[in-house]
Amino acid sequence: MAKVVVKDLHKSYGDNEVLKGLNLEVEDNEVVCMIGPSGSGKSTFLRCLNDLELPTQGQVIISGYDLSDKGTNINLVRENIGMVFQHFNLFPHLSVLQNITLAPIQLKKASKAEAEKTARHLLDVVGLADKVDAMPKSLSGGQKQRVAIARALAMNPKIMLFDEPTSALDPEMVGDVLDVMKRLAADGMTMIVVTHEMGFAKEVADRVVFMADGLIQESGKPDDVFDHPKSPRLQDFLNKVINV
Amino acid sequence: MKKWQVAVVMVLAALGSWFSLGATAHAQTYTIATDTTFAPFEFQAKGGKYKGIDIDILNAIAKKENINYKLKAISFGAAVQQLSANQVDGVIAGMNVTPERQKTFDFSKAYYTSGVVMAVAKDSKVKTFKDLKGKTVALKTGTAGATYAKSIESKYGFKIKYFNDSNNMYNDVKVGNSAACFEDYPVMSYGIKNGIALKIVSKQYEAGDYGFAVKKGKNAALLKKFNAGLAAIKADGTYKKIIDKYLHSSEASLTGETASSRTFIGLFTQNLGTIGNGLWMTLELTVISIILATVMGVILGVLGVMPGKIGPAISSTIIYIFRGMPLMVLAFFIYIGFPDLIGHGFKIPAFIAGMITLMLNEGAYTGAFVKGGFKAVDDGQMEAARSLGLPYWTAMRKVIMPQGIRIMIPSFINQFIITLKDTSILSVIGIVELTQTGTLIIARNFEGFKIWLMIAIIYLILITLLTWLSNWVQRRMN
Ligand SMILES: Nc1ncnc2c1ncn2[C@@H]1O[C@H](COP(=O)(O)OP(=O)(O)O)[C@@H](O)[C@H]1O
Ligand SMILES: [Mg+2]
Repeated sequence: MAKVVVKDLHKSYGDNEVLKGLNLEVEDNEVVCMIGPSGSGKSTFLRCLNDLELPTQGQVIISGYDLSDKGTNINLVRENIGMVFQHFNLFPHLSVLQNITLAPIQLKKASKAEAEKTARHLLDVVGLADKVDAMPKSLSGGQKQRVAIARALAMNPKIMLFDEPTSALDPEMVGDVLDVMKRLAADGMTMIVVTHEMGFAKEVADRVVFMADGLIQESGKPDDVFDHPKSPRLQDFLNKVINV
Repeated sequence: MKKWQVAVVMVLAALGSWFSLGATAHAQTYTIATDTTFAPFEFQAKGGKYKGIDIDILNAIAKKENINYKLKAISFGAAVQQLSANQVDGVIAGMNVTPERQKTFDFSKAYYTSGVVMAVAKDSKVKTFKDLKGKTVALKTGTAGATYAKSIESKYGFKIKYFNDSNNMYNDVKVGNSAACFEDYPVMSYGIKNGIALKIVSKQYEAGDYGFAVKKGKNAALLKKFNAGLAAIKADGTYKKIIDKYLHSSEASLTGETASSRTFIGLFTQNLGTIGNGLWMTLELTVISIILATVMGVILGVLGVMPGKIGPAISSTIIYIFRGMPLMVLAFFIYIGFPDLIGHGFKIPAFIAGMITLMLNEGAYTGAFVKGGFKAVDDGQMEAARSLGLPYWTAMRKVIMPQGIRIMIPSFINQFIITLKDTSILSVIGIVELTQTGTLIIARNFEGFKIWLMIAIIYLILITLLTWLSNWVQRRMN
């Protein structure tokens, strides 16, 4: 069974139907990039995958666990899905180290010493070994986002969700974050990445999914999607993105 | 986490033991309520001890008849309410025997007979009731003077303004806000002899009897002993001695004060003990109430931001009720109304009632800003915490609360100061805290300006200290 299975996913806020029946399967080690215009429901979709949003209808199955099943312990499922947000959402009252070790220690995944060891290693990986004791407010956007990635990785997740991880960054910071993500992909992490970085999608994605109006309009290998878009919607979207 | 749990348990344990003490201590000891300010019948002498005709008569009778009693000085209105609510066993407070009161109380034989007089400011031109037309008359709630004045209100066309306390009533007339007051003759003449700048301009009306009261159908044995004792002290001359002592001597000789003690410093040193006790009571109430209100406020705040509908609904309702109710009404409700509802002679000690009142009221305000503080924390914080697999309560405790509480610190400091000031309102249920202490001291020396200035300065000092302390804590936390 695929790592992530989404069947006929619907989500409405009141009368506003944001997701209108999505189907998607993501295999182990696969990197899927999602593109699409703002407001098309990409964030909502990602948030349905770890139950931050409750779907109105349909099924989400993560590593074999059906999220709509009452017997599923959502906290356990979440430990296996890391999420990285557009606005980082670091805990401002905790140091970099404490941000990373909070969940492993609270959830008894590791002793304090082990958790800190792992955290230092992860900070090394994202290139911030010298920021162990810094407070989030003293970091740049790019540094914050790399700490956020390290924080998600500290739970040793099997799947990583990225919601426009570089959209809030100054252009010169984007590269550092994308490099970290590329390395993760190369190490075999299963990833779903909502992004406007077409270069990154071309280079790293196994599959690109184009979403508009709450539906997946088109999907395929990066080359096919970017170089031979079929639907006029996608052509239009690509024209706008590339010309900006 | 561990420490505050211990603190909560300790506070609850203290509460529990208070309740059980309250329940057992009055086994064969009667609680007799009296007024705080009704010289020469009752007033506080230097050192805080009560003196006066009522007090001495009660004492003499108790000795003759072997009655064990505890004296409780509260406002006249509260004394009457508490007697009807079974909170006290008897009241001796210069109370007139009226047919109205006889419906709810049983009275002893009269121990004194007195009439109502009208008093006006020394330089006033008011001489008769006719001169009162269109003017305001000051009355003390529940007194014979008030009843009489009310009965002639429409005939002479004056307006009425009520006070809970004789001194405030006298003062209102003295400064000219009211044209006259109506008061029992012995009380008025005693006050004037002791420096109140008023004069009596009428004869005595509606001469009435003063009686000792118990709740109708209750404490018949106590009443019987009182009557027997009264007859005995009249027979052996003790009664006459008491009356003479109070109606024919000056205040100073009774309260033990001298002229030199009338300077600001003199007054302060003379009353240091009394003020110290009041101050201590204020501090005790403030500290305990702040702790309880904070615990309650945090619980209400957490409920208020809980997912689902039930938690927020409970939180909003409790906040709505206790924030909307005036503190004084809440205090009366808990102290007098609630025991009345329960019945079976259930009593709440005034201190406990005061604490619960403050906890509910300040707790509701605290709950409102705690809720606001938690809501002010960015939604992304909860989402990030939950996405890591942290359960809701862990996320709340480790991520939302520490940030929210930082936002709330200024509100907390503000609320602590309000709590300190609000303790003064509890004087209405007879808690002798700092403000009530001021009232009591003035009741015997009539030095309104100096004593209130003294009390005001003490409050300001307390608030300054509290602010410093809070700022220090705030700096430590950041
Ligand atoms: N909590 C919410 N309540 C109501 N409407 C929402 C909520 N979250 C998102 N929406 C609406 O859902 C639509 C899709 O939003 P989103 O998933 O954020 O799109 P995208 O990430 O593709 O820009 C938008 O129209 C947005 O207004
Ligand atoms: Mg989005």
